[in-house]
Amino acid sequence: MPDVPQNAGYMVAAYIVTAVILLVYAVSLSRRANRP
Amino acid sequence: MSLAQRGRRITLVGLVLLAGVYVRALAYTPMERFQGPAQKIFYLHVPAAWSAMLAMGLVGLSSVLYLLLRDARFDRFAAASAEVGTTFSLVMLTTGPIWAKPIWGTWWTWDARLTLTLFLFFLFLGYLLLRSAVAEPGLRARYSAVLGICGLVLLPFIHLSVYLFRTLHPQPIVLKPSSPSLPGDMLITLLLSFAVFTVLYVGFVTQRYALSLEREAQGSGDVGRA
Repeated sequence: MPDVPQNAGYMVAAYIVTAVILLVYAVSLSRRANRP
Repeated sequence: MSLAQRGRRITLVGLVLLAGVYVRALAYTPMERFQGPAQKIFYLHVPAAWSAMLAMGLVGLSSVLYLLLRDARFDRFAAASAEVGTTFSLVMLTTGPIWAKPIWGTWWTWDARLTLTLFLFFLFLGYLLLRSAVAEPGLRARYSAVLGICGLVLLPFIHLSVYLFRTLHPQPIVLKPSSPSLPGDMLITLLLSFAVFTVLYVGFVTQRYALSLEREAQGSGDVGRA
């Protein structure tokens, strides 16, 4: 059986990038709505 | 409850559910033996691609309806869907290369699927730029509807590109004529993630649509730049 590749860093990076993009967009929508 | 408040609530529910998807994908979904932990990027990359395609599909359909009926609600919806689609395309185009590097050994390759999805992203950007460049609302709606329909035409080519051309990109494992080729636990996580990304799409579009309405009510009449 082959060894499991050690590439968890890529997984963590992708999960962080996704969260950041979606959160930034959600905040941007709220800020624009509150802008007079 | 106003439309904007409803949108904010749906988005909030979507973000909380997204946290649930993170927990399920990272802690309770088995690891794929050959790809290792990087395979779990799949649970974000594929639903983000789905949401981007859904967004462009609905931009295209709303554009057709706008040209047929000349109802400003369709134009407003298309503008909202395009902006949200740009966000999901960005998720797709960042998670894809991060997954590709450890598995394919390269961040990017100019094959048909990847090039067409990059083109989809540029089409979203072009759509938004066009809307901010044309000041007259009627013209803006008409020009951007034509571009939106071009985006709709692109979608089947993106989906079928893995069958039509030689590519490193895997073929569909869920959206295909036969049954999904994925173990049960992984399939449940993927389907949950699909549902959560769809909830986020609905929340974002509702908020963005409400924002356009608000700007129009304030008299700026500037739907494209809301």
